[in-house]
Amino acid sequence: MTRRELLALLGSAPVALAKEAPTAPVAIARAASYNGDLTAILTRMFDQLGGLGRIARGKTVTIKLNLTGSPALRFQGRPLGSTHYTHPQLAGAVAHLLGRAGARRIRFVESCWATGGPMEEYLLDSGWNVRALAGAAPNVEFENTNNLGKGKRYSRLKPPGGGLVYPAYDLNHAYEDTDVFMTLAKLKNHETCGVTLALKNSFGITPASIYGDDAGEDQPNEKPAKGRGNIFHFGKRSPPRSAPQELDPASSREAGYRVPRIVADLAAARPIDLALIDGIETVTGGEGPWIEGLRLVEPGVLMAGTNPVTTDAVATAVMGYDPAASRGTPPFRRCDNTLKLAEGLGVGTTDLKRIEVRGLPIAQVRFPFGL
Amino acid sequence: MHLALLLAVSALAGWAPARWASGDPKTLELLAETPINCLLLERSNFSAEFARQAAGRGVTTLGVIRPEGEPLAAARQALQAGLDGVVLEGAFERAAIESIREAAAGAKRVLVELPPRRLLQLEGGAAVIGTYQGLWPGIHVEEAGAVRARPTGGPWIDTNSGFLRFVRALTDAPVWIANLPPTKTVLPVDRYLQAIADAAMLGARWVVALDEDFNRRLVAREPAALKDWRRIGAHLRYFEEHPEWRRLKPYSLLALVQEPDVGALLCGGLLDMLGGRHIPVRPVSRPALSEGALKGLRMAVTVEAGALSAEQKEALRSLARSGGMLLNGPPGWKLPLPKGDQITLEKADLAKVDEVWQGINGVIGRGNFGARLFNVSSMLSSLLGEAGGSMVALHLVNYSNYPVDSITVHLQGKYTRARLYAPERPVQELELYPVPEGTGVDIDRVVVCATLVLN
Repeated sequence: MTRRELLALLGSAPVALAKEAPTAPVAIARAASYNGDLTAILTRMFDQLGGLGRIARGKTVTIKLNLTGSPALRFQGRPLGSTHYTHPQLAGAVAHLLGRAGARRIRFVESCWATGGPMEEYLLDSGWNVRALAGAAPNVEFENTNNLGKGKRYSRLKPPGGGLVYPAYDLNHAYEDTDVFMTLAKLKNHETCGVTLALKNSFGITPASIYGDDAGEDQPNEKPAKGRGNIFHFGKRSPPRSAPQELDPASSREAGYRVPRIVADLAAARPIDLALIDGIETVTGGEGPWIEGLRLVEPGVLMAGTNPVTTDAVATAVMGYDPAASRGTPPFRRCDNTLKLAEGLGVGTTDLKRIEVRGLPIAQVRFPFGL
Repeated sequence: MHLALLLAVSALAGWAPARWASGDPKTLELLAETPINCLLLERSNFSAEFARQAAGRGVTTLGVIRPEGEPLAAARQALQAGLDGVVLEGAFERAAIESIREAAAGAKRVLVELPPRRLLQLEGGAAVIGTYQGLWPGIHVEEAGAVRARPTGGPWIDTNSGFLRFVRALTDAPVWIANLPPTKTVLPVDRYLQAIADAAMLGARWVVALDEDFNRRLVAREPAALKDWRRIGAHLRYFEEHPEWRRLKPYSLLALVQEPDVGALLCGGLLDMLGGRHIPVRPVSRPALSEGALKGLRMAVTVEAGALSAEQKEALRSLARSGGMLLNGPPGWKLPLPKGDQITLEKADLAKVDEVWQGINGVIGRGNFGARLFNVSSMLSSLLGEAGGSMVALHLVNYSNYPVDSITVHLQGKYTRARLYAPERPVQELELYPVPEGTGVDIDRVVVCATLVLN
């Protein structure tokens, strides 16, 4: 770490470093399949967290799905929800419960891979029954946040303390125009970040119109057709001049340094109010079928919490890892620990001793992911 | 033409062909559970007894003749053995073809040509238009067994459907594609089912050909081979029981004006690019280009506008005046004819096609030219219809090893009834619902192939 990077890190969260990061309980439940009574299981989990009504009644709830990579890419031809995407049954059950809890509006969002087209079509391409999901609760909406979408301007959200990589991020309006921000993540390894859970799911809130490889030099490209490799992963280029620029262009260009920090920034800039991690059926070894060595697994577990760091810490432990592990230790072999960076920004604690687990204990559902 | 020969030629339209690797009449019993009624026999299996017993079962026998050796002598041997005709497979000298044709006509027998694609005579009035050259259909697998996979797109599917789409648009004759399975490969039965459907979704027929191992096990009546053979029979029967689908033509609001000399006979060209994105397209050959042929279209793409006559250009302008869109390929843009045994694009040609494709794709966007399909990345489709679109049939073929669930189709226009047909499954009535483009319909599952028929 260079002196500038150290100063940036220290300067970013002096208050957070001075006191312990907050904690919140995490609920764990077994779910053998997506065809079981997910509604009953989730109701019990949310009740263990204080009930959905407390969080959602009369509110607009925005749910970030995990639909990473093109829906055309399947692992062994399997349905996407059984491998690396959020499962549609789970999304439907969550929408139903939120509606029952009195949510005023439920908006499903994702920055859909390499397209600015309607999210509904992306979901159809992913094999989702959009009509059924739209009918799961009153006022269900969908928005592709990969560009301006239905908004008139981008929302500029700033990580408290100034940010680790960028001072602020320009995002689709949906991330600002909401009362509650929920993340519906998948329990997976990640090639760059070791694990991809609730925190890492926020990487996908950034629009490729601004942070994509084909973003404009001056202005966003409202027809994005590429990923975010050059700007976020490798820092090979800057986002359009219309967006906030990098704090320290001389900092490391390594993806294992940059992406965890950007994710931590995003989790601080757009706090996650409710996290649900889908570990019923998933993959180990990476985040999608473009990663070699992927393997299908069925941990049969769900985790939920109101703090993304505590939820991720428990999920990381369920995967058989130490959530506070440092770089060089699995699963963070070639990257910094996103959870620790978010903890450093005061988002939540990674200390399992300080996290109350409700429902099943970690030891009872532990499913080693290897690496 | 002699009456018997005339009858044989007219019966050709109903022939369901297969290469048959045995001259033992007992093997004819294997045909009982299939609609196969035309066998292509190698010279070593030309047999009067086999031909006699086949005829007794209503099965036609054709002798396969190749250019090597003495083709005329081989043809005479087939005819003397009482076979119903001969199939010329390969690149023959014209004189050799004519002498064999004369011999066949003299014996009042049929002659079918299966030349390489570059020698196809699409407008010659042949009883069957066919070729032995084809890709083995399936998801493209690169070296080391990896499926070409990137975060940016789905798997590429090797298919003959683009080529067949073009051929079917030019001719009403029965179309055969007689490619062989890959050598030294034991194939799961699904790969055969895909080969059948890859051709049949365009109204063509794949000449069934089994790999050596399958043949051996089938002739030995091994239970597993018989089970697979029954499935092949069921899939062949599925298409043969619906001759009305074969009469339908590609249905789309988008036309691609193309000729053999701009890549229409190659695999991987523009028709396959459009097919890969499930964009229905109506191929139009230059000679057929007229105001009538373009009536009702929303868009026409010409890949060699410079070669058009004044009348043809006027037909395109007329489409533009009526609100249609025209898109021309780059001036002088051409692709070669297939070379020798090569029917796929070379690297340099791929780059050319990709460049033209980017232009077309950018204009087409998410437009609906008859149907838009969702969740179909491992599939190809073919939208066929009656003129005016009062009835359309959407064939779907799945090339992956797993069934595809939850497919959605958005059709241009209003339809009132949808039925889903699939091999080995009862017909299903499907619910229709309105979508901005017209009509939406959801399909639960496709195993290998299915056909959505809408009225």
